Amino acid sequence: MFNIEEFDIKLDTQVIGRNFIYVEEIDSTNDFLMKTEENYPNGTVVLAEHQSSGKGRRNKEWKSEKNNNLTFSILLLPNPNFPNVNLINLSASLAIAQTLENLYQFDIELKWPNDVLINKKKISGVLIETISKSDKIEKIIVGMGINVNQPTFAGKYDIRPTSIRIESKREVSREKLLSEILNQFEENLLLLEKSSSKILNAWRLRCKMIGEKVKIIRGKETKFGIFDDIDHNGFLILKTREGYEKIHGGDISLR
Amino acid sequence: MDLNLLRRLIKLVEKSEITEFSVQEGDLKVKISKNGSGSVVNFTAPTNVAPQNTQIPQAVQQTQESSVKEESKEEPKSENLHEVRSPIVGTFYRAPAPDADPYVQVGDHVSEGTVLCIVEAMKLMNEIESDVSGKIVKILVENATPVEYNQPLFLIEKD
Repeated sequence: MFNIEEFDIKLDTQVIGRNFIYVEEIDSTNDFLMKTEENYPNGTVVLAEHQSSGKGRRNKEWKSEKNNNLTFSILLLPNPNFPNVNLINLSASLAIAQTLENLYQFDIELKWPNDVLINKKKISGVLIETISKSDKIEKIIVGMGINVNQPTFAGKYDIRPTSIRIESKREVSREKLLSEILNQFEENLLLLEKSSSKILNAWRLRCKMIGEKVKIIRGKETKFGIFDDIDHNGFLILKTREGYEKIHGGDISLR
Repeated sequence: MDLNLLRRLIKLVEKSEITEFSVQEGDLKVKISKNGSGSVVNFTAPTNVAPQNTQIPQAVQQTQESSVKEESKEEPKSENLHEVRSPIVGTFYRAPAPDADPYVQVGDHVSEGTVLCIVEAMKLMNEIESDVSGKIVKILVENATPVEYNQPLFLIEKD
């Protein structure tokens, strides 16, 4: 069982996680916040012990063992100073990476746009969904899934999964991990408003594919080139024979 | 000068940081300048232009000090058409998943809040809802193709 008191003592934020909703089972924490008619406050966090239909990108599944991992969503309400949503995306995966480094001394790799890897295996994923009325973004939902104490993974995955337990050979406190991720995420969002280049640089430092030959698959299209850098929006800059091209989506792998 | 082109120019100036903009097409010179919240349009046509050309400038001159929105009411047919635009750069999807039915089709009636499409960038899924009630008259973008920031996606005839 998730110990809410223990989590609450370690939470050191102003906004994120101050309204905390804990549920045993839910279809998807992202869907809950997307579909709700309630006006939940900015920073509301919904944590579920079990998601019956946990989501990844374009209806891929996020599978997670009950009571062993962290699957939660954070609600962000835009304000006039709100930065580019794509940078929130990078700030989220960065917050997870920084926390895993600080707490367990892992060597973390960030895979564009927002996967968190250890030894080429996936330990965490982020799925951000937003709702807009025409061109005005009304709410942003940051879904995070972290493999914490799950001992084994059966089945087929796009990227081989791993957990903190597998990598560190011990069970860890999910309460402490969640509070630290939220603390770090809030810190990153505040920094993002002041200086987005610091967030981009911290992200670049952990992206080992920069400078490498890569393959990007998007639908039926495949592109080859060198992963040159990320731009101020977080888009991937691909260097090809024809020149530089900005990429804003697709599955990227080393060539 | 085409009134639709003029409207597009006004919108462009409105959204940009430019405060003054002028363009000349043949004998007709259009100057758009921004003061505070609304835009002001100035026309200067030389005295020797053909009568059919002077009619449009005169009509617009009367509304010189009024806002752009009021001015576009002159053509009720296009005033009733509403564009839904993309809030981000990304890929346009008409359905929630590759094997699912599209959210909407041409001819469908939508209300404010009806989900129209998804625009995805960097695994960020942006669900776009209609900001008006009306009938979808045109879908301006192909499924699974890239869209730019502020690019029109749907044309809706308002109720």
